Amino acid sequence: MANITKKVSWSSRADESGATGEGTPLLNGSEQPRHSRQLSEGRSIFQIGRLSTVDLEEEITSDEDSLRGRPKEIPHNEKLLSLKYESLDYDNIENQLFLEEERRMSHMGFRCLEISRWVVCGLIGFLTGLIACFIDIVVEELAGIKYQVVKENIEKFTEVGGLSISLILWAVFNSAFVMVGAIIVAYFEPIAAGSGIPQIKCYLNGVKIPRVVRLKTLVVKVGGVICSVVGGLAVGKEGPMIHSGAVVAAGVSQGRSTSLKRDFKIFEYFRRDTEKRDFVSAGAAAGVSAAFGAPVGGVLFSLEEGASFWNQMLTWRIFFASMISTFTLNFFLSIYHNKPGDLSNPGLINFGRFETESVAYNLYEIPLFIAMGAIGGLLGALFNVLNYWLTIFRIRYVHRPCLQVMEAMLVAAVTATVSFTMIYFSNDCQPLGPDHTEEYPLQLFCADGEYNSMATAFFNTPERSVRSLFHNQPGTYNPLTLGLFTLTYFFLACWTYGLAVSAGVFIPSLLIGAAWGRLFGILLASITTTGSTWAVPGKYALMGAAAQLGGIVRMTLSLTVIMVEATGNITYGLPIMLVLMTSKIVGDYFVEGLYDIHIKLQSVPFLHWEAPATSHWLTAREVMSSPVTCLNRIEKVGTIVDILSNTSTNHNGFPVVVQVAGNDEPAKLCGLILRSQLIVLLKHKVFVELARSRLTHRKLQLKDFRDAYPRFPPIQSIHVSQDERECMMDLMEFMNATPYTVPQETSLPRVFKLFRALGLRHLVVVDDENRVVGLVTRKDLARYHLGKHGLEELQLAQT
Amino acid sequence: MSPYRHSSFWGFIVFNIYVLVSGDGGNLTASEIPPLSSVVLSSAVFKPGLGSVLSLNLLSSFPEDLEISDYCSELLHIFGQRYVAYVNCLVPAARPVKVCQNCFSSYGSLTEIFSNISSDQVGPGNVSCRDSLLRSDRLMLVYELYENLKVLWEKSDCHNCITKGFQNLTSDTLHFMTILNQTLTCFEQYQQKNKTELCTNCKTDYKNLNVLYGGMEKNKTMCIDIEDAMNMTRRLWSKNFNCSFPREETVPVIAVSSFMLFLPIIFYLSSFLHSEQKKRKLIHPNRAKSYSSLMNIQDNRS
Repeated sequence: MANITKKVSWSSRADESGATGEGTPLLNGSEQPRHSRQLSEGRSIFQIGRLSTVDLEEEITSDEDSLRGRPKEIPHNEKLLSLKYESLDYDNIENQLFLEEERRMSHMGFRCLEISRWVVCGLIGFLTGLIACFIDIVVEELAGIKYQVVKENIEKFTEVGGLSISLILWAVFNSAFVMVGAIIVAYFEPIAAGSGIPQIKCYLNGVKIPRVVRLKTLVVKVGGVICSVVGGLAVGKEGPMIHSGAVVAAGVSQGRSTSLKRDFKIFEYFRRDTEKRDFVSAGAAAGVSAAFGAPVGGVLFSLEEGASFWNQMLTWRIFFASMISTFTLNFFLSIYHNKPGDLSNPGLINFGRFETESVAYNLYEIPLFIAMGAIGGLLGALFNVLNYWLTIFRIRYVHRPCLQVMEAMLVAAVTATVSFTMIYFSNDCQPLGPDHTEEYPLQLFCADGEYNSMATAFFNTPERSVRSLFHNQPGTYNPLTLGLFTLTYFFLACWTYGLAVSAGVFIPSLLIGAAWGRLFGILLASITTTGSTWAVPGKYALMGAAAQLGGIVRMTLSLTVIMVEATGNITYGLPIMLVLMTSKIVGDYFVEGLYDIHIKLQSVPFLHWEAPATSHWLTAREVMSSPVTCLNRIEKVGTIVDILSNTSTNHNGFPVVVQVAGNDEPAKLCGLILRSQLIVLLKHKVFVELARSRLTHRKLQLKDFRDAYPRFPPIQSIHVSQDERECMMDLMEFMNATPYTVPQETSLPRVFKLFRALGLRHLVVVDDENRVVGLVTRKDLARYHLGKHGLEELQLAQT
Repeated sequence: MSPYRHSSFWGFIVFNIYVLVSGDGGNLTASEIPPLSSVVLSSAVFKPGLGSVLSLNLLSSFPEDLEISDYCSELLHIFGQRYVAYVNCLVPAARPVKVCQNCFSSYGSLTEIFSNISSDQVGPGNVSCRDSLLRSDRLMLVYELYENLKVLWEKSDCHNCITKGFQNLTSDTLHFMTILNQTLTCFEQYQQKNKTELCTNCKTDYKNLNVLYGGMEKNKTMCIDIEDAMNMTRRLWSKNFNCSFPREETVPVIAVSSFMLFLPIIFYLSSFLHSEQKKRKLIHPNRAKSYSSLMNIQDNRS
């Protein structure tokens, strides 16, 4: 990765020629052994700990000097961790309030909770299906109008001359739609850009991405998807469905909308991160299931992306949500198509059914499929590398919203131009079929009764193009058309992904793959004399699509099942699996998957399945942050307000300690309290003095914490008078009395495992006398990763 | 396809005659009379012509109640005649396709007689021919024969061009035919002369025809005759006379598209040159300072 940063450093201005952002801080495995005092720049982070004693500072002055001369601002790169991302509080806070509430809750109450979980899952599925249906219908109608108008225009101008006007019309149409989509994304909700899968992946990983599951995001996402698909970009509407499903889940399960300021007073128990995250995984599954008509694939997607905390009941509920979602979509689409009750549209994309004779594949075809997988892996890696460079450029230079909108419009215009030019110069004419599989056949310069074959690929929504590549008769496309189409669409799709529009990469990948897969099939049939009997191009188109998609996104199990379910054909299970395996292996050799690249580029502290290998020698002592801001069990309000208001240390969890009388030593740990809890306490003024004076004062309940969730007010909005600052606050009741702790000598993988498996947010490091020495958070763990030169460390940055 | 259908058709006809004469070939297998069934089995192996001769001898050997009534055999006879008539009409109309306009009346009479046969009305002598003719054996020959032609009829969409009751061609069809004739005469008129002249002079006719065809296509009031005629005309127009639109505006299209392709280059260059590069402020986290950890690193390296 480091040399990629170098390659793009041409874009950086002269002053940071040092390229300090390169992941230099190699903790081990660096080439030449250095003495600890001559640490490389990056590692000097270690040196400036505030605890450092006087003589130590003297020792490292030379280092400090070099540090001062160095700019503290670096261009954005992938080796950063952003401060704006926090962890979810997946761990249950077992304080006294919680225990009290549990005691009060009857057996019946728990039963009702279980039932309402099912109800919520049903609702998630239903609403996700409805949204998918809405998107589908609107896209179909709008795209229909657009293509009809452009087609009529082209027909008119073919006759009288002036086709360049049609070209401009088409480009203007596209740009106009995309402009609307880009404006709502860039100006109103930038988090809705892209497919949303990386964001949901992070959320399921336990990272709280700001504003990712808000109603506003959903609205912008849906509107943006419609605009970008109708705008003719090389995008699909499937990826965003996953994000939409997740937002629906997060919204429905809370029984209220903070944006609309409506509280339905239901599902109050679910207002915390633990429950919400479970529902979000159900929502993501429902989204996948609606997008591809693949309920099992949806469940497996959630499992693959966020599987730390699963049990059998949760899986079953998620499956329920998925099924409801695909059924809802199916049902409402059948009404839209005037065939109520005909449940044959399970997903947004319908791969169509593969007929029996083309289904069959032979043993000797398997090596061919594997070769296709390898090609898919190579092309996917190329796609990802190109997109990586482009994204870095975009983050660095195209960050102003107006520029983003302009860029999106330009891409839309160029897409139209390229498509038009391709169609214009294509000589591939095919006779119109009897059953009119082509929705908008363009004749142009073909003989009457024939249509331009290039136009079926370009002058169409991408979903339809995929389907025609899968199912059209052999001979519908000639090899040159397919080759040109693959080439142009590859670059267009690569250019489009990462724009400030909400759109997915699934369909473009499938389309590229289907095109070269079909080409592969046609060439195969032409080189073998008896080929035509078994080399059905549609079959190879499917394999190519799977290979390309696998090469780009690198999903494994869930993608296999999604493809199998979307084609409705279990016979293809084995070849698709082999294809995806090969493409993943080949692709991983060069570069990571697209989603992982984007997660990295957004500087998200993402925890992978395992701690990086060769990190056992690192102990909690090196990993942790220290010193820790601790609170006393009975703390002065003023101190708390000051700590919370300190903008430089935006801590979220505070170990609560009991001071051993008259000792400078760090005090003993007795609990852990979160910023959000403290804020609620301050808001309700739960001070010891006030409680004494007002005996009737209502006791704070867990409900008060839930009501403030998830948007706890910032500390600045809470007014604390000068008198109140002198009051004391007893944290005993509210803190989590039994936080997880580890001794200092625990190895990094052990800490990591604890974190990942329990979904922790804070892990207190204590010494042998239970005194707090440090605190491990997600960012402390996520900064280690295995680079080209062994273990590397990411830097924290303000973004 | 067509020669195959042709031969099989003659096979049907001949076999049909055999059935007509023998009367109840199917019933025999059901009646389980050993000597007879063996004869019939062997007769089935024989050439049809020979079989018919042979089975003449068997006719009298069936008991009265198993034979079909005179009424039914009469119906069967008429069915055969009309069947032959229809097929005779179809075959010459195969290319260029005129199966609808030429043969609709004979198809009408065929359906009439078949509906007579298949109706459950009781004819004279209190017999219903439906059971005896249509479904008393595994072969169900009459039914199958009729069904084949019916499929053919439906596939050709002839019902779109024929009025109810097989009376006449629909007015739409007739109108189309006149326009088509106009166009073709125009083609003929100019064919000998300059091709470009043809393209300009017959354009209105041809265009009218196309518009009409497009309308019919949308309304789904087309049959195979019209489709085929249109296809042939189009092929004449575009392939033989070469009247399709030429690709002549290459230059403006290239100019506009290269302008469009040039825009993003300007955009990216200008945003690279004029936009402020986004910088990230690095933050230095607090870490425990310990020599032991650094020593660890050293140990690790050595």
